[in-house]
Amino acid sequence: MLVHWHHSYSTYQRGSTQVGATACKMAVVNRIYLFSRISITPKILLDPINRVCGGRRFDSTSVSSDGEVSNSSLSTTPIIRRTLACPPEYKRVQQAWVENLNTVEEQKLGLIDLHPDVFGAQPRIDIIHENVEWQTKYRKVRYDHTKTRAEVRGGGRKPWPQKGTGKARHGSIRSPLWRGGGIAHGPRSPQTYFYMLPFYTRVHGLISCLSIKLAQDDLHVVNSLEIPTDDPKYIEDLVENRNWGPSVLLVDEIDIMPRNITAATDSILHINLMPVYGLNVFSMLKHDTLVLTMAAVNRIEEKLLYQLNRPDFMDVTKKFMLNQNG
Amino acid sequence: MSWCVKSLSLICQQIKNPQLTCVRNRYHAEKIAKGPLLRRYGYRDRILQSGTLPHVDGPRLPMPVYRPKNAWCEKRALFGQNDYIDILGNGDLHPTRIMYNVQSWLRGVKGNEYQILLRKRKIFSKGIVPIARPTKWRDLNKRISYLYRFLNEKTKTGMPSN
Repeated sequence: MLVHWHHSYSTYQRGSTQVGATACKMAVVNRIYLFSRISITPKILLDPINRVCGGRRFDSTSVSSDGEVSNSSLSTTPIIRRTLACPPEYKRVQQAWVENLNTVEEQKLGLIDLHPDVFGAQPRIDIIHENVEWQTKYRKVRYDHTKTRAEVRGGGRKPWPQKGTGKARHGSIRSPLWRGGGIAHGPRSPQTYFYMLPFYTRVHGLISCLSIKLAQDDLHVVNSLEIPTDDPKYIEDLVENRNWGPSVLLVDEIDIMPRNITAATDSILHINLMPVYGLNVFSMLKHDTLVLTMAAVNRIEEKLLYQLNRPDFMDVTKKFMLNQNG
Repeated sequence: MSWCVKSLSLICQQIKNPQLTCVRNRYHAEKIAKGPLLRRYGYRDRILQSGTLPHVDGPRLPMPVYRPKNAWCEKRALFGQNDYIDILGNGDLHPTRIMYNVQSWLRGVKGNEYQILLRKRKIFSKGIVPIARPTKWRDLNKRISYLYRFLNEKTKTGMPSN
């Protein structure tokens, strides 16, 4: 079963004809539909690519079934390869094309392996929902506040004697019964909604989300974020040409990005740059397409595989204590 | 002379169309024969089914102008960034340490009003607040005392017995 996220921008769009159920309720514009598909992993096996001699570049339409490159425009750019340091024995390796950002048209520079524990895991929608809910709520603080009868100015004296006047008996003019009096059970600020998800719930949220993005063809790997101009139109044409979603999240390893891409995406609000440490489930779901650089893929895989296999996992699964260091 | 003609024509009209007004019945049997008296019969629907709408030229009811929120402003586009910094970044940096939009004494804190106020008192007692804001400080202490007594005397404390 696969999951498809649909995001609307200017209007709240209804009327998708997919058969399925609304699996979770979160922020107003995001909804989930479930529909079935048969295969999860992408299309091409490893063998035909290895038979192509090194030093050839190939386009998307050029690789035929017997694996020979039949494109007229060849260059001497080396094919980008990537071998997994610790490949799993009994799981199928995931693969992704490596593309370029130099030209508007897509050019494939190689086919790399991706670790199935990170990019081919079981897509757990419930874990993703928990993660999104956590991200929405844990930083929320409510500051609305009302004064009680003790805090409202005045109201220390008994307004009139207990008996004798025909009036109702009262002890203070600031009791909750009175106009202008204190509020008995109102909001008392500040009210926090902080909680921490278990460590591995968050790890599996990231893993599920990455797997879903890859399975639904919303994940693209590029060699680097260098582009020839700093014109926003170039990026828009590129996204339009390659049928990437309206919103794109470009992830690099560190937070210092090349100048041209920064200038080009500055004015486009729905195309955003992020370093690897800033990656999170909410952003991956908000943006339709996720574009990772090779360095980012290496870093993400390294970090997540470490978290899945670390020897001191008992230390990180402990309850969050307020005065803990880190 | 003309008033003669007029009055004559009026009389002629009245003779032609006499107005009949039955004031009372001559015989009781006639009254019974007419049947019971029917009063306040029927229903008049006070809904305009035709004609122009009322108040079409006058002042209309106030409706706020629809201003959709910008879903891709920077705050919303990058919402949730760095929430997984302890997983994908340095393992020592916990997301509570980068909750910069929250007051420093509230980062990573969850509790009921009493617990929050105790923490507030513990932290603010070291600063200028007891001296610069004496009324607020007094109210804080009063509230803590009240809640202590309320929670311990009026509510159940400890674990449930069943």
